[in-house]
Parts: sequence; structure tokens; C-alpha cells
Amino acid sequence: MRRLALASICTSAAAALAWAGNEPPSPAYVASRELELVAARKPQVYLVLSPELRALDVRARGVTLDRIPLAGLELLSQQPVLGRSLPSSPSVPAVWMIKEGPGDTDREIIAPTELRPMPAEDEEEEEVAPAPTPAGPTPTPTPIPEPPVSYRVQLENGWDLWITDRLPRQGFLRLVGTALRDGWNRWRGRGLDLPPAVTLVMAPEDARRVHHLFRTGTAILVTTGTP
Amino acid sequence: MSGEPAVVFGVQVGQPPRRTWLWVTLGVIALVAMASVGCLSVLRTGRPLVATAFEITTVLPGGLGEGLGLEKRAARAESELGKLSPRGAYIVIDTYRNRLHLLEGGKVLRSAICSTGTGRVLRDPRNGREWVFDTPLGERVVQSKRKDPPWAKPDWAFIEEGYKPPPPGSPERWDTVSLGDYGLYMGDGYIIHGTLFKSLLGRRVTHGCVRLGDEDLEFVYKHAPIGTRVYLY
Repeated sequence: MRRLALASICTSAAAALAWAGNEPPSPAYVASRELELVAARKPQVYLVLSPELRALDVRARGVTLDRIPLAGLELLSQQPVLGRSLPSSPSVPAVWMIKEGPGDTDREIIAPTELRPMPAEDEEEEEVAPAPTPAGPTPTPTPIPEPPVSYRVQLENGWDLWITDRLPRQGFLRLVGTALRDGWNRWRGRGLDLPPAVTLVMAPEDARRVHHLFRTGTAILVTTGTP
Repeated sequence: MSGEPAVVFGVQVGQPPRRTWLWVTLGVIALVAMASVGCLSVLRTGRPLVATAFEITTVLPGGLGEGLGLEKRAARAESELGKLSPRGAYIVIDTYRNRLHLLEGGKVLRSAICSTGTGRVLRDPRNGREWVFDTPLGERVVQSKRKDPPWAKPDWAFIEEGYKPPPPGSPERWDTVSLGDYGLYMGDGYIIHGTLFKSLLGRRVTHGCVRLGDEDLEFVYKHAPIGTRVYLY
């Protein structure tokens, strides 16, 4: 936590020193900061993806709350083995908005089937459940399921963001094998068309801990440039 | 079987071996050709995931700070971002790890284990109304503080236990022990408070509030004045 706070201060200080030395900041950097200012004016948490630093920051009001190092940043798209037409990278700096994220949809629902009246203070219930000791809100007894390490997030720009702990293997034989399997599924009408995805590869624990941050309407700021 | 050769799959048994081998070879070739055509068709249809490097293509957005020099634009953005940063003590809560940090000027004053929301959804069987037990994310402010905070139990507290909620204002709704010794109110019913269930600290077990142990709660209560910003992520 302390390191993060110091890193945030150092970044600002470096920017100030760079301008003091008459080096004009790069237009991309200025645009990135201006986009961040728009996001930081709102109280919501936003994410900052820095392809150059290979990092995903969690920020609010310009304060870096957490930083997740990325092991990889790739574009993944479905391509035939022969005759590929690879997508070009989305331009940066930009703000990607989450259309639907797993933080909204992967929820457990508690639904009692019926409600019984509260027992009066001097009467005991017929089927007495063991009284909570001490009294108070009932602690949740069942553990919360662990978030997955690989999941997709739909973005409003038509792309997906794929968070994963490992990329699919890309060897020729592996691709041919996957193509055969996928082709066979398509022949049987079970093919799956996926939009191209910006893929963030990170440690499994990091993938789990950012899972809940990908909620509908969350902004992901993609920055570039140095001061 | 009266002296004529038997016919099996179009091949006369007893014919010279050369013709049998010819048929077998032709059959194998036909099978291989059919399999190859099938495989190629399937291969052409299949579309595996192919990875390519993310290339930085810079396209500057228009409309932001246009008409100013780069230095002025950068200085203005930095200045505005600086104004948004917290002054004095502020609280950061990591809802995944269930950790609360009290900081001031980049220095950590206290780190504590806390409990945050389960993220579960409770549905009222009578009307389908739903409550999401999330700890809110983003920036909040300590709006008020209270010693020995009482808890006015909302409907969900009864529904979760399978009871019909009593009418508003009824004595069953008042609970004076569950929230511990201190409460820091962050608005919309979200409170940083104590707990009777200390063994559950460090786990996501609450209905959205943030629970702390007694000593940590007292420290945060004393060092986070009203107006302290709280960043939850």
C-alpha cells in the first residue's frame, strides 16, 4: 500500500520535473491524462491499462489503489488456419466501457421459499432453530465460491477483454488440432463465434482478485505516452 | 460352392492374388482420399484462437483541452487531478482481500483485517424484491460517526432468516449490540462498524457494511474524522 502511494507521488513528480526541464510532454501522454481527469471526476473506481508499463491499475479520483502486473498483453481472434485476416489493435489512448462484466452476472441468489411470522418474545417456535449466540446478523455459513482465473468481459466498442492466467498454445500442430476440433463442432452446428479480444495475462490470484471490478459501466482507460 | 469361386464384397475368392490386392489398394486409396477431403473441409471451417501482439496505435481524441499548448494542457490536467486527491487521512478498503488501510500522506497508519459484502442476492419470496449484498466500490466519505451505534434492522435482515418483517418502528427491529462499539457512516446505510463474529474477520460475510475488530475499529474511529474519504475497490 505504501509503495503504491509513493509510486503515485513519484509519477506526478517525474512529470513535473520533465516539464520543468523544458521537455514538452508527448501529445499522447497529455491526452491520456485528460481522459483520466474525466474519469476521476466521478466517484466510481476505474481501471487504467498501460500497455507500455504492462500493468493494470485500479484507481479512484486519480489515486492508485492497486497495481496488477501483466505477464502478457495480446490480441486474440478466431482465424482460419489458411487465409487469416488479423484485426488491428484498437487505438489508444481511449476509454473502454464495460457492457457486461462477470462482476454483475456471477452471483449466488438466496431465495427463501416462504416466510413465517416472527415468534413473540415470550413464546418459543415449534421448530426451534439453535439460537444464534450471540444475537445479531446471521453469519453466512457457506463459503463464497472462488472467482475464476479466466473470463471474458464484453466492451461497448465490440471487443472483448479476456482476463486469463495463460494464453492458448500457438504451435502449428496445436492450431491444426484446435481447428479440426472447432471445425467438427461447426459442422455439427455447435460452433462458437467469439469477438476479438484484448487479452490480459496475469497471475491466477490477480485474475481472481480483479474479477469483481469488471462491472457494467466501469471505465477502462487505456493510456500511452510518457511525460 | 459347386466349383465356382465364391463372391465376397465383389471379390471372387479364389481369384489370383494380384486382383485382390488391387481392390484392397484402391479401397484404401479411396478411404484416405475421402478422409483427407473431409479433414481439409473441417480444417477450413475451423477457426482456432490466434494470438497477435498488441500494437500501440496512437490516435489522439479531439475535444479535450484543444487550443492550449501541450505544457499548459498537461499542467492543467495534473493540477485538476491533484485537487481530486485526498487531503489528510483516508481509508482504502480492498474488498477481495478484506483489508482496510488507514493512510495519511502516503504513510500507512494502520492496516486491519476486515469483513466485506458477500455479493450474494437475496430475493423476497412475496414480491420478488431483491437486495444485493455488495460492499459499494468507489469513493465514499465518512458522513457521521457514532459511539455504541444502534442498528435499525431492515426488511432483509428478517427475510434472510425466513421471517416476515415486522412493521416499521416495532421493537423487534432495534438491535443495540451487533454493530460493536463504534460506527462510521458512509451513506446509503453502509457503515464501518464492529462485530460479534470476530472469527469471520477476513472473509466476505457481510451484507455490504465493513466489519472491523474492536481495537482496529477504535483506532480508525479516533483517527478518521468526519469528511475522511473512503476508497473501496
